[in-house]
Amino acid sequence: MTQPAIDIQAVHKSFRHNEVLRGMSLHVERGHTFAFLGRNGAGKTTTIQMLLGLLNRDEGSIRVLGLDPEKEPLALRAQVGYLAEDQTMYGWMKCGDILRFLAPFYPTWDHELALKYAKDFEVPLGQKIKHLSKGQNVRLGLVMALAHRPELVILDDPALGLDPIMRKQFNRDLITHLQGEGRTFFYSSHLLYEVEPVADVVAILKEGQIVRQAATEELRRDVKQIFLPREAVTALGKDASLLDTRPDGDEVAVTVEGAEEAIESLRRKGVEHRVVDLNLDEIFEAYVTGKVEGQETSAEEVVLTP
Amino acid sequence: MLLRIEKGSAVPISRQIIGQIAMLCASGKLEPGERLPSVRELARELAVNQNTILRVYERLVSDGLLEMRHGQGTFVAKDAPSSSLAVHRERLVEELRQLARQGISLGLSADQIHELLAKALEQLHTEDVRCSM
Repeated sequence: MTQPAIDIQAVHKSFRHNEVLRGMSLHVERGHTFAFLGRNGAGKTTTIQMLLGLLNRDEGSIRVLGLDPEKEPLALRAQVGYLAEDQTMYGWMKCGDILRFLAPFYPTWDHELALKYAKDFEVPLGQKIKHLSKGQNVRLGLVMALAHRPELVILDDPALGLDPIMRKQFNRDLITHLQGEGRTFFYSSHLLYEVEPVADVVAILKEGQIVRQAATEELRRDVKQIFLPREAVTALGKDASLLDTRPDGDEVAVTVEGAEEAIESLRRKGVEHRVVDLNLDEIFEAYVTGKVEGQETSAEEVVLTP
Repeated sequence: MLLRIEKGSAVPISRQIIGQIAMLCASGKLEPGERLPSVRELARELAVNQNTILRVYERLVSDGLLEMRHGQGTFVAKDAPSSSLAVHRERLVEELRQLARQGISLGLSADQIHELLAKALEQLHTEDVRCSM
């Protein structure tokens, strides 16, 4: 079996009394495009910084391309392309200068590719970095992250500063240059409708743990909303795990994990029901804010409700 | 071959593409023996994951709509029209079933639903007449 590109096992991380990651595990196969989803403050940026060796973990293990980022951060960073959420660069440098400045740090730097990306992303090479707009800053960061043809690319919310046309262009380049060449791409995003066409696998982070990791299409097959009579909820069977229930007149709308088995169980028992396909946004929402009637309230809710 | 992806739809992207290619075959816009774009080309064009496109092609091959010729690419199957019609009909029946279910939940009787369908067909017919004038 080949080694995964990223392997995180039971990682804990606290900042003073704030426990951000609580036994978080995930793994990313080589060649996959992997979307890392979670609300603000769920721990996405913390995780990404630990993958690069910019932060140390309290407990657990992390391997990136087989290396421990705490022990071999430099060897690792030579093989990884990275763009931080709020990348700061030398403001006095011109865009073209910083690309030439970076080149010698990477044995695999491809300057022609850097210039091509700069052109595609409309980065003004003659302009000083401190005069760039937010979007231009992100795009320059992308050029810097991709031009050494890294084996693994880690981006913290890259779509943030891109307009819809550039996002599509970026997705195309991602598909051609990263997926087409079998490289691994790990990124966080808020724009789920942008994630779905592109990602092989998604993972949802909630309260410092991964609540679900699955192939994008499998997730959509597996999580559905079912309308059925209130008293019939038990007929969903024991394999179905409820993510969200909301009463709707005499009926109840239940969002379940394990939809195929649940629907089969309803058919066997002759319970009348309707099945609604959900989009990725709705599935995400069910995992992170779903409430199940009759179950104790989640920790998050306790915090949010005054 | 022009396809349109609706992002954020409840219909998964692979199913959107499968449906549209099947439709193009059924309507004759894609002719038997015609070559489709490669997986890479279509993925880039639509900005959709290559593996998704590959699975779509594989699925359409197993449905008998497309055929992969080793080293040459993917083509519309020679005997596609009949099988594509069958796939299409299946999908249509499923959509009609959902519509009927909605009608029933609105409290309509079977007769009333028939009547609505007849009216919709009639409207299409008058539109067609108007268009051809």
